[in-house]
Amino acid sequence: MVFQQEGPDQPVVHNGTVHAPDAELAMLNARDVFVRRPEAVALWVVPADAIFTQTQEELAKAEPASQAASGLSDYYVFAKFSQQAQCRQVGQVQAGSPQAAVQAAIVTFADKQPLWWWVFPASAVLKNESSEAEPMFSAARYKTYKDQAEYPVVTMMRALRDKGRLD
Amino acid sequence: MYGADVEQIAIQLNEDPQKLADFEARIARGEKIEPGDWMPAEYRRQLIRMISQHAHSEVVGMLPEGAWITKAPSLRRKLILLAKVQDEAGHGQYLYHAAETLGATREEMLDALLDGKAKYSSIFNYHTTTWADNGAIGWLVDGAAILNQTMLARCSYGPYSRAMVRICMEENFHRKQGQEMIILYSQGTPTQRAMVQDAITRWWWPTLMMFGPHDADSPNSGVLIRWGIKTRTNDELRQDFINQLVPDLQACGIVLPDPDLHYDEATGNWRTGAIDWDEFWAVLKGNGPANAERMAARRQAHADGHWVREAAAAYAVKNQNQ
Repeated sequence: MVFQQEGPDQPVVHNGTVHAPDAELAMLNARDVFVRRPEAVALWVVPADAIFTQTQEELAKAEPASQAASGLSDYYVFAKFSQQAQCRQVGQVQAGSPQAAVQAAIVTFADKQPLWWWVFPASAVLKNESSEAEPMFSAARYKTYKDQAEYPVVTMMRALRDKGRLD
Repeated sequence: MYGADVEQIAIQLNEDPQKLADFEARIARGEKIEPGDWMPAEYRRQLIRMISQHAHSEVVGMLPEGAWITKAPSLRRKLILLAKVQDEAGHGQYLYHAAETLGATREEMLDALLDGKAKYSSIFNYHTTTWADNGAIGWLVDGAAILNQTMLARCSYGPYSRAMVRICMEENFHRKQGQEMIILYSQGTPTQRAMVQDAITRWWWPTLMMFGPHDADSPNSGVLIRWGIKTRTNDELRQDFINQLVPDLQACGIVLPDPDLHYDEATGNWRTGAIDWDEFWAVLKGNGPANAERMAARRQAHADGHWVREAAAAYAVKNQNQ
């Protein structure tokens, strides 16, 4: 699973998936597939089987998970707030299992009412180093010819119709 | 069949009537169907068919233009073409991922393409014989694709619709760079004007065929529209395209290869002559000008990449064992 942050003040958002034999190649594929255009300041890749998801309906039926104090680890918490939206980061919790992490998230982020919760251990994530952000993402910023605004075809067509020639 | 009520359809498709009714109600409310949700087997089958064909089209679609990268007439055009072909590779990836969310595997989809069992857009089985063909592909072929994809961006299956939103944005760059090229050459030297006229003459009819058979001959349309996968018919999209393109191409001084083309005052539509469907079916069945060449190039590329896949897998295993 690929997550992308578009700016320093933006949340990290689920962007799609890539196939790769390991995290390092997943990162390279993710950059080529998802960041051919700006903007990105951070890219994360997480193995799909490390992500635990629960819908509101499933939560209603779920057994309470034991919050063992021993062996707590950091979990990232993501949530999907509408059918159309991408899953986005809401924060981080400490928990002993993915199930416990979802239940901790419900308490910690009680003001949020998502359709889905996604949690995964922080240790499962490969992120680009911040020093890599410039070489990884800035090249796309200068390739302005990839932007449709570079091609003034509407103005050109109007000139052809009005004057029978280009200006 | 697909105008029928939900109970009859449930019987014909061997689905639970209540589940099917709930599913159709969700679509009617404009909800997106997501990968884990219940869906009729036929919905899944149709989506895998469409999305994988679409993915194959993006991948094979790199070939006609890719051949011109080393022959681009300026550095600017070379950069544009490189970026465009790279985009098509990315679009293929988005779409294969979307199909995978429905349970299709990458391997079976790629094998189906390489074995010649899978379809892809018939348009890529024509040759690009001059540089101006790259402009014609951008303006006509990508322009036609955008109309179809703008519709699919609203489709009921979440992953497909989200892939389409991203693809449409990038395709607009593809269309406009092609349109800019055609406009400039159409106002250029006599040689450039002749090259553009020749390119449009060859690409016009195959582009109109891209929208698929007439509605009366389109076997899948009913169910696709009922379940919100398609929201408009082949003929509606084709008519929109014709209405957009004819006045613009004529303003460029280009003559379309259709003596029957005329404006219908009553409906406000441009009417074309009859489309040669024999040609369409022949190309689709593998007998177009470049089918064999395209498949040979795809197989060669896959074989040439074998060592890369093997090395990547071996490297991952080695790292895991450390």
